[in-house]
Amino acid sequence: MSSVAIARSRSLDESSLGKVFIAPSVLTMALVALFPVLYAMVLSVFSYDGLRREGFAGLVNYAEALSSGEFWRPVNATLVFTAASVTLEFLIGLGFALIMARAFAGRGLTRAVILVPWVIPTVVSAQMWGLMFQVTPGFINHYAWFVPQDFNWLGTPGWAMVAIIIADVWKTAPFVALLLLAGLQTIGQDVYESARIDGASAWQRFTQITLPLLKPAILVALLFRSVDSLRVYDLPKVMTGGAFGTETLSMLVQRFVADTPDPGMGATLSILTFIAVLGIGMIFVSLLGRDLAGGGEGR
Amino acid sequence: MTKWIALVTALVLVAASCVGAREPGESGGLVWAIGAVDARPGGSASDTVAMWNQLHPNGPNVRIEALPESADDARQQMVLELNARSSEFDILTLDVIWTGEFAENGWLVDLEDIRPAIEAVSLPGPLQSATWGGTLWAAPHTSDASLLYYRTDLVDQPPRTWNELMEVGLRVGKERGIAPFVAQGAQYEGMVVNYLEYLWGAGGDLFSEDGTEVRFQREPALKAITFMRAALQNGFYAPGFNTMKEEDSRNAFQSGNAVFMRNWPYAYHLMSGQDPRNPSKVAGKFGIAPLPTFEGEGTISGTGGQNLAVSRFSGNVEAAKEFVRFASATPEVQRKLGQRSLAPTMASVYGDLAGDPVMALLGQVLPHARPRPSTPDWSAISEVIQREIFPAYNGQREPEQAVEAIRAFLQSTLDEG
Repeated sequence: MSSVAIARSRSLDESSLGKVFIAPSVLTMALVALFPVLYAMVLSVFSYDGLRREGFAGLVNYAEALSSGEFWRPVNATLVFTAASVTLEFLIGLGFALIMARAFAGRGLTRAVILVPWVIPTVVSAQMWGLMFQVTPGFINHYAWFVPQDFNWLGTPGWAMVAIIIADVWKTAPFVALLLLAGLQTIGQDVYESARIDGASAWQRFTQITLPLLKPAILVALLFRSVDSLRVYDLPKVMTGGAFGTETLSMLVQRFVADTPDPGMGATLSILTFIAVLGIGMIFVSLLGRDLAGGGEGR
Repeated sequence: MTKWIALVTALVLVAASCVGAREPGESGGLVWAIGAVDARPGGSASDTVAMWNQLHPNGPNVRIEALPESADDARQQMVLELNARSSEFDILTLDVIWTGEFAENGWLVDLEDIRPAIEAVSLPGPLQSATWGGTLWAAPHTSDASLLYYRTDLVDQPPRTWNELMEVGLRVGKERGIAPFVAQGAQYEGMVVNYLEYLWGAGGDLFSEDGTEVRFQREPALKAITFMRAALQNGFYAPGFNTMKEEDSRNAFQSGNAVFMRNWPYAYHLMSGQDPRNPSKVAGKFGIAPLPTFEGEGTISGTGGQNLAVSRFSGNVEAAKEFVRFASATPEVQRKLGQRSLAPTMASVYGDLAGDPVMALLGQVLPHARPRPSTPDWSAISEVIQREIFPAYNGQREPEQAVEAIRAFLQSTLDEG
């Protein structure tokens, strides 16, 4: 007699048993993922004096955050950073992916080497870029002929953000490239061959075949990068400390959680960040879902 | 049957993984959380720990937990641990301005029972910084007062006023093609101390002496910002000044790229070129002097320094107290600090260190040095000063508005209490 039959005979069917088995994992996930969110929601409706709870405050913290320039400036900085870095990472990553998808000598080595920036911990690469952008021993001023010798990248409004974006693009473009490369490899060569026979130019093959078929991979890459960029903390923290309009949402949260602690406001800001990231994530996921479904119908 | 066995085994494994992960804390060993260059391998903390561990072969041994170099970051890490009631750190290294905050939050064990031993030997200023509300919460370990470093091969006499310093710096810097002045201009705590020195040097202050009234007057406050603003614009401040912290300015000065530097005494020893792994282009070519003021009378330095405290969540409070007493009131330990250009807090060792130029100058400067106000709100105040003064001296904000915003915030911290 098989064990399944025994289980069934004891009135615990396959699906209930399955539920029992996944219960611990579901419970663990709830504890790890859901509990902090709910706890932050609870904290966010209390007012604090330093670390001492003063009492229930309702939505006062939210009203205060949303009506303050101190909230919108980092929001603005975060959005600028995200838009610029994700766009550049996508364009450069796509270029890398198209090159790596071709057969050439040393392709395996190239694929491994290109990941090096991504493997370096962000804090370390932030330190590295911070040093390179410095004025006096700065490697960048030494080699970049198009800027003055004593150009102060991290200490000039506007350019500080540019420096941070450059550091981020350097680090994560390879990651985008790899995701897109995986997408490229699922496109069969036969499609290209028949297009070529039909007389399609290289540009037409790229826009009519590669891009549409790569769309799911592109959306996944953009989703990952956008959500990640919206949470950026380490690069601006290390490179500028938030000076010259480079303070991001996560840094603002950190300020209220640890620097000058106000757990209520800190939790409120975390929840607002969470909602923003979740919202943008949902947009991508819905685009992705529609695309997959639409692609299925089109065939 | 097999399925039931599998189920039970799975549950047991899950339960075991939840419970088994908790191990009893490392028995006996003490962890000393300390930041800045002192925590580096071979830094001053390792001397102290080596002496302690040698005297206590049977334990408890002390281990250094190196915190980030920047004081803000080091504080944050301790706050996170203490907020979580973590017993990770036994001995905490507190900047002189954190005593009130850490004590108010209930993170410290008071040191009243070792107070007589500490009081008998420590300098009065540092001792005061370790006290809050009449209770001793920490033991003074090192003191600090900022100094003016100058190139003896380029400048005969160190200037006595800020304006003269600017003039000489600009002239000599231009002649030599190097930067006139380096200091701490990045948006962080260090810049606040730099600003306060200009403010004090112009006759201003933040609070009245007893801390009950705001004394942030418009005129000296503006004088200080205007000076900084002009210095950045006319090139008295080195290129990249607004991203510099202590080590950036030391590196620039040490590689011969600056005429003057405002920094703490620790830089003296490091720039003397005695360590072959740390070559110095200015070895034997630099001197130290008291910081200038605007009027040219006297000197006013900001004080820093570190006190040692015992965490309330430590698993071994008695041993931790013993270590704190050892590090604060043992002549050998304190003398060793002095040899590393860290100002000892034991009055008696200054006599032994009189031959050292840094210690001799500190003996002159420390009596005129001023601490930042000791209020539990200091972190918040410093944050506001950073956010107002930094853009103001960088030409991003009107100095008048910045001064007004700081005054309003200072007032609000008094009104709450």
